[in-house]
Amino acid sequence: METTTQSEAEHDGHNDDHGHGHAEQSFFTKYIFSTDHKVIGIQYGVGSLVFLLVGFILIMGMRWQMAKPNTPVPVLGPILEKVYAHEIALDGQGKTVPIFKDGKITASGYNQFGAMHGTIMVFLAIVPLGFAAFGNYVVPLQIGAPDMCFPRVNMASFWAFFAGCIVMTVSFFIPGGAAQAGWTSYSPLASVIPTDGQTYWLVGMMLLITSSLLGAVNFIATIIQLRAPGMTWFRMPFFVWAQFVTAFLLLLAFPPLEAAGIMQLMDRVCDTSFFLPSGVFASGTEPMNVSGGGSPLLWQHLFWFLGHPEVYVLILPAIGIVTEIVSNNTRRPIWGYRLMVGSLLVLGFLSFIVWAHHMYLTGMSSKVATFFQTTTMIISIPSVILLTCLFMSLWRGSIRFNTPSMFALAFLPMFGIGGLTGLPLGFNFTDLHLHDSYYVIAHFHYVVAPGSIFALFAGIYYWFPKMTGRRMSEYWGKVHFWGSLIFMNIIFMPMFIQGFAGMSRRMSDGGATYSMINNPDVTSGALTDQVMSLNSLITMGAFGMGLVQIVFIVNFFWSIRNGEKTNSDNPWKATTLEWQTPTPPPHGNFLEQPKTYHGPYEYSNPDVDNGKDFLAQNDPHKSMSEEQKEAEA
Amino acid sequence: MEIPYYDKERPDTGLYNGKAGIWLFLASEVMLFGALFSAYVLLRVGAEPGTWSMGLMNQWVGAFNTLILIASSATIVMAWVCLKLNDWKGFRKWKWATVIFAFTFLVVKWSYEWPAKFTHYDVTFVTDQSASKVYTDVLGPEFSETQSEIWQKRFDPLKKDQGSNPAAQVKLKDKPLDGHIVGYIDSNGAEHKVGAAWGMPFWSHAFAWRHDRKNIEKEKDKSIRYDKDGRPVYKEGHFRDTFRDRDIKAIIFAPAHGTWDRNEKQASSGAVKYAEAKHDAGHAHSDGHGHTITIAREDISRLSSYEPAHSTFFATYYTLTGLHALHVLGGILVMLYHLLPVSRRVYEKNPVQYTNRIEITGLFWHFVDLVWIFLFPILYLL
Amino acid sequence: MSDDHSPEYYKKKFIPLIYLVGGILIAGTIITFAADKMGIAERWGFVNATIFAMSVAVVKASAVIYIFMHLKWDIKLKTISITLGSTVIFFIGMMCLTVGSEIDSNKPGHEDNTWNHVEQSDPKTVPDDK
Repeated sequence: METTTQSEAEHDGHNDDHGHGHAEQSFFTKYIFSTDHKVIGIQYGVGSLVFLLVGFILIMGMRWQMAKPNTPVPVLGPILEKVYAHEIALDGQGKTVPIFKDGKITASGYNQFGAMHGTIMVFLAIVPLGFAAFGNYVVPLQIGAPDMCFPRVNMASFWAFFAGCIVMTVSFFIPGGAAQAGWTSYSPLASVIPTDGQTYWLVGMMLLITSSLLGAVNFIATIIQLRAPGMTWFRMPFFVWAQFVTAFLLLLAFPPLEAAGIMQLMDRVCDTSFFLPSGVFASGTEPMNVSGGGSPLLWQHLFWFLGHPEVYVLILPAIGIVTEIVSNNTRRPIWGYRLMVGSLLVLGFLSFIVWAHHMYLTGMSSKVATFFQTTTMIISIPSVILLTCLFMSLWRGSIRFNTPSMFALAFLPMFGIGGLTGLPLGFNFTDLHLHDSYYVIAHFHYVVAPGSIFALFAGIYYWFPKMTGRRMSEYWGKVHFWGSLIFMNIIFMPMFIQGFAGMSRRMSDGGATYSMINNPDVTSGALTDQVMSLNSLITMGAFGMGLVQIVFIVNFFWSIRNGEKTNSDNPWKATTLEWQTPTPPPHGNFLEQPKTYHGPYEYSNPDVDNGKDFLAQNDPHKSMSEEQKEAEA
Repeated sequence: MEIPYYDKERPDTGLYNGKAGIWLFLASEVMLFGALFSAYVLLRVGAEPGTWSMGLMNQWVGAFNTLILIASSATIVMAWVCLKLNDWKGFRKWKWATVIFAFTFLVVKWSYEWPAKFTHYDVTFVTDQSASKVYTDVLGPEFSETQSEIWQKRFDPLKKDQGSNPAAQVKLKDKPLDGHIVGYIDSNGAEHKVGAAWGMPFWSHAFAWRHDRKNIEKEKDKSIRYDKDGRPVYKEGHFRDTFRDRDIKAIIFAPAHGTWDRNEKQASSGAVKYAEAKHDAGHAHSDGHGHTITIAREDISRLSSYEPAHSTFFATYYTLTGLHALHVLGGILVMLYHLLPVSRRVYEKNPVQYTNRIEITGLFWHFVDLVWIFLFPILYLL
Repeated sequence: MSDDHSPEYYKKKFIPLIYLVGGILIAGTIITFAADKMGIAERWGFVNATIFAMSVAVVKASAVIYIFMHLKWDIKLKTISITLGSTVIFFIGMMCLTVGSEIDSNKPGHEDNTWNHVEQSDPKTVPDDK
């Protein structure tokens, strides 16, 4: 509210002070506290890539522990022993023990890494990268707007995100360490856990949710209000549509988690019992000293009411990016653009009524379970339509195999595997067996890791020339691609097997306690040696994955200065509006107000005789009469 | 660079940017409060009989606050209409009226309604015997009658439909005695008054006093065990209470309701004097306030003021009204900003834009009002 | 509200409308409060009292949304009604699902008959596995 009105005040300032040229902007207002959507997009991008790396380092530590339980972690271990949080003292003298004693990961350290890996990857890396970074940079350009609708709200959104990142990061170093109740923070555990990490987690989440809400309001308002003349709803690029639906999911699904977070914070700070049932035991022989009467299921309902739309928040921007790249690199219009938009809207709506398929094991009645099972099966239809349309678009295209297109093409089968392996989890009878096993981990990582993250890499390679005027190295890009593809599958494919064999998630020794070696008397159900040996394979895959990412990091920074220069503003010969401006786009984006005359994917149209195989959206086609052009605009 | 449609309406959508933004923001707010309302329904439906302790609300205060919030909602529309009619003075008049109404709402809530609850306590007992000792022996049968009427009221009527009277489903030991804590007796037999901590007489009961660790006397009370970290390990069977960390043998308690009809009353539990009629105890059927009884700590199973930790009802009540009050506070700040001289300059430069801002503020304010329209019946009445 | 209304319109029509809506709101509050003081929960039963109180609240809310937030002039009545109606239906549906899953679930003291689709045979006649 406040910021909404202030943002308008800021526009006045712009009119007065910066109406002509922007040389007078100081370094601070231009690069740090900038209201320019492109700078904010890059800030989001850099921040989220850093946290993508942090989240990955956490999982490398965990993988080491799983492959070689209770052995010192090389390189990371001694460092963490020095800097990482200590356990809360229990010896009476205030002597504390480091969580990384002798460089080994203790169980509570493992839990912290696990919880924070999930939190960081979902809320600090992929959502900000897919939605906020690419959305901020690309959406206003693609719809021909000079900036976001509320530039100052946009800045506030970024700084709320930044504050959330700080709180989350700091929580690793406070006594007792970070949150350790899993990224889902199920109560009662999360309500009663004695360390302060969970409280920090909740405060951090509040800030991140605030950031997402401000961003979502801004995106929707921008797409509704600031489309260029002639940019009708069905002339918007599919990426804009994806961002539009994603913004609605964030807008409507995040507040329930905020409410749940407030309640859990009340549980932790004011000793209330929202999520604590009567007579709950935390430890020992006495029941907890609380009023009781709460419901742990309430947390799960509220969390998954966010949680399921959140999955689509992770994947929809990725599908949007892939659509842009596939169409551009096959030099064909997208097959079934309107069908895809329709599927997107249905997907967005349905994602709100499937949440309890995460909760089949909570003892819900079979009627309710049947309802959610049905909606879950229905929601797979629009997802399959999206994927099928993208596959159909490849048919008879003359595909250019450059780095972004290879990442985008790999996205399709990888996301397909992720989606199809989700079906057994959507049926409650199979889910009872697979719930909380490594199968679940493999499933959703196929959706978000080789799925979303590949698409995000594709987006980075694709829009990098727009941001810098230089291309990233193709050779090293392909090394990055093939390495990532191979190692991703080495990591996640064996997890399906482990899951079928019954290996549970969240075991700090990688299942060694339940292995046949340690349980020679058990005749069935223990984890066999073959299943256990996959742990080492996965860990090696994870470290290989880390090596390949170094290639990307070096390539990224090297190319900013030394990459091959693009000779035109439109190196990919694309139709959408972001390629029809100078590179990088100036403050205000367009030299003159663009007008849109065509749909977004006018490639290889035989009726167009402009000497190119594409027709830019703002290119008034020669054979059109002036009246037609006016009518179109 | 100028953002298009920041003050004028876009022809095809019929909205200016701010209005689109505020409606979207309100949509997310609806989801926020909707989730909390859902939590209210779910917790209330799932509550065991006797644990949904409503009926302790001051309904008159609630109704008064509802009326002034409604009035403020009307005045803010008047302010906007005045701007539409280019009547700056009228605008200021109505805007100030809105701010004053909103401020009154907060003052009533934060300086009267909540603090009154923080100084009110519920006592429940370890066994039915210890409860009847207090209710029958100390306070007398007449008091018990009054008290049972109160219990009828305060237990959730929702549960009545499912069986007998909800109060009948609750054991005597779990039926709370409500009143004020006047002081406590430590292990040396010395009396202490419960006063202000950090100079905050009202609020201190719920938060400040409760967490004020300066008053903890670790050595004197051997009944409290401490873990290696110095945190108290709660006594077996003793639920969390406001005095959990302190050296307390008995509390001095003034029942809030009921009458005192005996001239002299004493009962004892071990070495502790159980109840003692004070000097003005002779007035038959006088208000229970001012007459104190002493209750031994070992008889108390739970002692809690009407703070968030009291019960899930109060937890919901404070969360919902607290969040609402924060929205009111935010609205007040924005409205005050609009009354500053700097806003006058915006108005003179671009009246349309300024009027739009007032409209947006108004939309937000009406939403805050709407939330209260639903909060009042569900928290105070039903 | 779109700007095509004349100042006359505001003075003659809109300001009286504000007073009218203010009156409705105050009357609604007083009605609900008085009904509660008269004890309708005892007379009508709790569920009916809830429906009554919520209906009054919905009327008040609609008046605020319709006039004070001037959606009447911003978008068509049909759109508002459909949106509000579907929101209410959606909310009630969600509550049925969440509360339903809570109520149906196995609680201490309640018998769980979720899986009792088949009539249970007499345990005595079931042969022992071992």
